[in-house]
Amino acid sequence: MHKILLVEDNELNRDMLSRRLQRHGFSVCCAVDGAEGVSMAATEMPDLILMDVALGAMDGWEATTLIKSNPATAAIPIIALTAHALASDRDKSVEVGCSDFDTKPVDLQRLLGKIRDCLDKPASVAIAV
Amino acid sequence: MKRVLSEIILKFDGLVNYFIPETIAADRDARNRAHVFLISHILGPFIGNVVPAALFVFDPHPNFAVVVLAISITSFWVFPFALRAGAPYNPLALVSIQNLIFCILWSCYFYGGVTSPTVAWVLTIPILAFFYLGSSTKLRLIVIAMFVVNLAIFCGFYVFSYSAKTELPVAAMQGLGLVSTIAASLYVTMMAVYYAKIQASQADLESEMRKHMIVASELRSATEEAERAGAAKAEFLARMSHELRTPLNAVIGYSQILLEEAEDEGDDTSTADLTKIHNAGQHLLKLVNEVLELSKIEAGKMELDLSEVRIDRLLGDLIYSVEPQAAEGGNRVICTISPDVGSQRCDASKLRNVIGQLLDNAIKFTENGKIDVTASLEPGEDGNILVIAIADTGIGIAPDQVDRLFETFIVGDDSSTSKYGGTGLGLALSQKLCKLMNGDILVESDVGRGSRFTVRIPVAAKADATGTFAAATLVPESATSDPFVGSAPETSHA
Repeated sequence: MHKILLVEDNELNRDMLSRRLQRHGFSVCCAVDGAEGVSMAATEMPDLILMDVALGAMDGWEATTLIKSNPATAAIPIIALTAHALASDRDKSVEVGCSDFDTKPVDLQRLLGKIRDCLDKPASVAIAV
Repeated sequence: MKRVLSEIILKFDGLVNYFIPETIAADRDARNRAHVFLISHILGPFIGNVVPAALFVFDPHPNFAVVVLAISITSFWVFPFALRAGAPYNPLALVSIQNLIFCILWSCYFYGGVTSPTVAWVLTIPILAFFYLGSSTKLRLIVIAMFVVNLAIFCGFYVFSYSAKTELPVAAMQGLGLVSTIAASLYVTMMAVYYAKIQASQADLESEMRKHMIVASELRSATEEAERAGAAKAEFLARMSHELRTPLNAVIGYSQILLEEAEDEGDDTSTADLTKIHNAGQHLLKLVNEVLELSKIEAGKMELDLSEVRIDRLLGDLIYSVEPQAAEGGNRVICTISPDVGSQRCDASKLRNVIGQLLDNAIKFTENGKIDVTASLEPGEDGNILVIAIADTGIGIAPDQVDRLFETFIVGDDSSTSKYGGTGLGLALSQKLCKLMNGDILVESDVGRGSRFTVRIPVAAKADATGTFAAATLVPESATSDPFVGSAPETSHA
């Protein structure tokens, strides 16, 4: 069973997405902000991280950069989730080392596809238009 | 009586205007001067000829001097025609003043010299020169020089005794003096009255202009006020829409979870109800999103986000996402992308929004038909134009509704709202987005046979060829509904 770390500050979104992922056979742990996300990445060692970029004090980009700079967690694929499908957000995702990028509210089927892609070939960078 | 008089004045005004060429009429100052010039030339000979007429009466032996004077005075009537024929105004006015100086000095020379009863007319020279020529110092000096030269010539004749003086009896001289002085006074009075009238009308004009300027500044501040109110409204709508989306996403998300669970458990009753909640939530979310986008555009906060976009992939994703609805209505979606389209620099999310809206509409208004999506490039003024057309074989749009189609909250006729749903914002938003991308949407429609929406977006010339894909191999000409999907399509309720 793959383990996913969901970094999301909105309680409702966290609850919904984690429940839906669990129903599709993933084990899900949650972090409520960027700092917790960084520490949990190291302690939980998930197979994949879903990172909301619009977090509070430490945003998703910063958290991603920290996770990628730690050799222990650098290899974990990260999918960035943003509210806007902006090309600038997508570029930023690539820049900080995310494997993929999706928009909120999530289209579960599309997100599941991206998660599977990342788990199959974690090193690849596949950013969809 | 007063009415007859004002009618005469009106007719006379028409006559005066007849002689003013367009080039002069355009400039207010030049027009005013030409007006005085024409009035003086049209009425002047009537008053001026009183003098030679009096001479005929008073002179026991009228000679050539009277005839020359009468001809000179009458020749003033030529000037209006010369002006209309296009003669330059200032030289014409100078020639006229020369003629005036000649008439006056000629009559003085032959009838009484320095003590001539016609000397009073000399006063009209500076007055008329000022009226005709305006405030130009150069032209005034020329007039004075002309007078001096004329005077010198006549003095020369006098000194060298080429004098052809006509001796008149004292009584005749006094009669001539009376007539001449009255005529001169009448003439000067006429010009003064007219000049005063022009001044008054200018003052009126200026006060009118001041009023207009006050109104204009009031309008400006009212417009600014309205713009501020509009911006505040858009800001409010944007905030509200954002605040609405958070709880709405929860409603949709949780109904989705319950729906998935109910489906897993085979609970059909719950599935049907939950589907209704979910769909209503989606509809409301779409409405809120459209309001948000529209208010963003109206607040001027919408910016273009350009990137290299693979058009085949964008269209493929869109068609894939509408595939379930299309299949439900028995529709086939056929996509044809011309090989040169490849990837283009444009705003992916706005383009997706526009095409998605048009695809949704095409599917919604078509049953057991065909939706043709085509993409191609056309050379434009500055780079290429990306042309994406969505043609359906649906119910079509009546001609009187086509014109109003892109107005906010217009959904065909009202009866179609109940049957097909729709927010009435989609097309308005689509067109606004297209305009934002410097493009446009064209509509052709035939009631009962279908509609064709063509989106035209200018795209900058491609910087390099790395973005070119063999689109034709990905999307063959004969491609049918799902040429983009490698694996079997998964049914999604989202």
